[in-house]
Amino acid sequence: MNSGVLDTLQRGVEEETYYLNMGPQHPSMHGVLRLLLHMRGEMVLECEPIIGYAHRAHEKMAENRSYIQFLPNTSRIDYLSGMIYNIAFCQAIEKMAGIDVPERAEVIRVIVCELNRIQSHLLWFGTFLLDIGGITPFLYCFDDREEILGILDRVSGSRLTYSYGRFGGVTADIDDVFISQTRSFLDRLRGRLPMYEGLVTKNVIFRDRCKGVGVITVDQARAYGVTGPVLRASGVAYDVRKAEPYGVYDRYDFEIPTRTSGDCLARYEVRVAEMEQSCRIIEQALDALPEGAIEPAKMVKKVKSAAGEYYFAVESARGHFGMYIVSDGTDVASRIKLRTPSFSVMSAAPDVLKGTMIADVIAIVGSVDVVLPEIDR
Amino acid sequence: MGEVTGNPGEGVMTPVRLPVLLPPKPPVEQEIGPMIRLAVLDDLLNAARANSLWPLTFGLACCAIEMMAAGASKYDLDRFGAGVFRPSPRQADVMIFAGTISKKMVPVIRQLWDQMPSPKWSIAMGGCTIDGGPFKYPNQYAIVEGADKIIPVDVYIPGCPPRPEALIAGILQLQEKIKKSGKGHQA
Amino acid sequence: MLPTAGLDLSGLTSSSVDSDYAVDGFHHRHTVESGRIVEIARAFCDGGYHLEMMTCEDRRADLEAMRLVYTFGRFDLVDRHLVFVDLVPEIPGAEAPSMTGVFPAADWYEREVYDMYGVRFSGHPDLKRILLPDDADFHALLKDFGRIEDAPEEESGERDEGQGA
Repeated sequence: MNSGVLDTLQRGVEEETYYLNMGPQHPSMHGVLRLLLHMRGEMVLECEPIIGYAHRAHEKMAENRSYIQFLPNTSRIDYLSGMIYNIAFCQAIEKMAGIDVPERAEVIRVIVCELNRIQSHLLWFGTFLLDIGGITPFLYCFDDREEILGILDRVSGSRLTYSYGRFGGVTADIDDVFISQTRSFLDRLRGRLPMYEGLVTKNVIFRDRCKGVGVITVDQARAYGVTGPVLRASGVAYDVRKAEPYGVYDRYDFEIPTRTSGDCLARYEVRVAEMEQSCRIIEQALDALPEGAIEPAKMVKKVKSAAGEYYFAVESARGHFGMYIVSDGTDVASRIKLRTPSFSVMSAAPDVLKGTMIADVIAIVGSVDVVLPEIDR
Repeated sequence: MGEVTGNPGEGVMTPVRLPVLLPPKPPVEQEIGPMIRLAVLDDLLNAARANSLWPLTFGLACCAIEMMAAGASKYDLDRFGAGVFRPSPRQADVMIFAGTISKKMVPVIRQLWDQMPSPKWSIAMGGCTIDGGPFKYPNQYAIVEGADKIIPVDVYIPGCPPRPEALIAGILQLQEKIKKSGKGHQA
Repeated sequence: MLPTAGLDLSGLTSSSVDSDYAVDGFHHRHTVESGRIVEIARAFCDGGYHLEMMTCEDRRADLEAMRLVYTFGRFDLVDRHLVFVDLVPEIPGAEAPSMTGVFPAADWYEREVYDMYGVRFSGHPDLKRILLPDDADFHALLKDFGRIEDAPEEESGERDEGQGA
């Protein structure tokens, strides 16, 4: 074949672009995310996330139900940090209605929320590595994760979708078994983290796979309102637990792990480091666990609040989770807007994924750790 | 509309139904040697089908996490032959509905179900797929209240989400059903 | 409390008041004419703020307005601004300028507000539904849509064919 024809053919191949649909049913799309990719060869020219496949009308339900009836919904918004969301909603209502919380309940909340955060990070650890081709870590981390679920199950009665918080406290007290189980879990996890580091963090294949892939700059993060471990991997030490300490987080000594490169490896390192920080918080909380009641003397059945707008934010496992609550003075909210961290991260995806390779799309989506029902609400 | 159990004796079988494995040492075996068992071929096929269910990797919401947990180290769905999750519907036997079915998702589910080769089965895992679960309220606009409004369901597993043990129990229930009649749902 | 250095909102807002952060989580509240929100966004962007959240409220019943709500925050210090923009109470009809040119984050938030409330944004690059199916013919979070009182009576008995007649 003469070279002229070959050139023409090659140019034809090079210029040919196509659309590739990933999801909503795709093993690496974390549920029901759908990405419509405009491709040239293996290069992503444009990416359009299509969401809403897990839309469950939480915000409409909030306007139809009283605050206490909405409580079970909260842990289903982001089922991986269900405890954090559940407690956060209670804290928002307490702040709004001026309900006092006994000290012991506050400390218990910190312990269960941090356990929940470790659980979420462990699951992310397994699925992220599954996405990029490592199957074994998934089996190890689920082993550890089951320990946490057992502990939380014993105290709250649920493995995943907790309704452990109450306005003014928590439903059940923790006992000595809980404390000893939690302490032995911390020991166990600290024994296992070096194994994870050896298996994964120091694995040259993994490092080469993730280094420099999917860089999110600080400017991009600010433009899209990206928070959580993704933002911290880009070098901004923003953590709601430090910036606006809620509950009793201001008592505990912990660090905000940050990296500066903003790539998949940095996000990985930040989350692994966060697990150790959560262990530190739990340990301090267990050491200084006050005695006393776990609920207010009088149960809060009807929330009384002044009409107006309220905002309350917490640090979920994925970042800044905010609730904007408009009260009209009655027991039913006039509007609850859930500001979820995954929504912001995913809205940055078209910008971040532009110009990457198709195989890296999987790694990047895996590394930012999104939960789809949280995006769709 | 699905049922919890199948209908024994429905249609396909010969009048005499033998168990999959005959009692030890029937008279004929003493003549032709100890290695031979007799069974109806369909029963053997059904036993094979029941014990090598390949579910579709298909999570919708919270229940998908418990489905993953059931497949992971502690619960190990592989013990029951149902741990080979297939990413492609064309290789899957059973669709486990794990999570809330939004109205936007319905055409996708329909298409996936149609792409699965027959015989095929489905499991409704969790309250949402049974009747809308915690998201059911009058005038709910976003979700479909029950998987059986879209496709036929064989086994229902209650819970929000069901524990991995419950999913395993549901799969065992489905295996019983398949052993009785392997017809499943046809395309 | 004065607005943080680097932020100059003078002349842009119709009213600005300080708010009690300990009670409601906001440091400042502003009310802005809909024509000025892009300028406001630019001022916040230049001052080092990011768009933390944006949403809408159906206040046709009490305020006779569709109210857009923006909150702006910072990563380096705690300073949260709440901005209200009241629009005409007609759906369809309510329209505001898009903020996407300043904060790309507004892209999805504005699509969500359009999806849920029917408020349109002029200058938005691709204003279409985001959570509901493309062929949906309603805006879900409007107060007069999907009320429990309006639900058809639940059919009694089993979900069975052969009802009626």
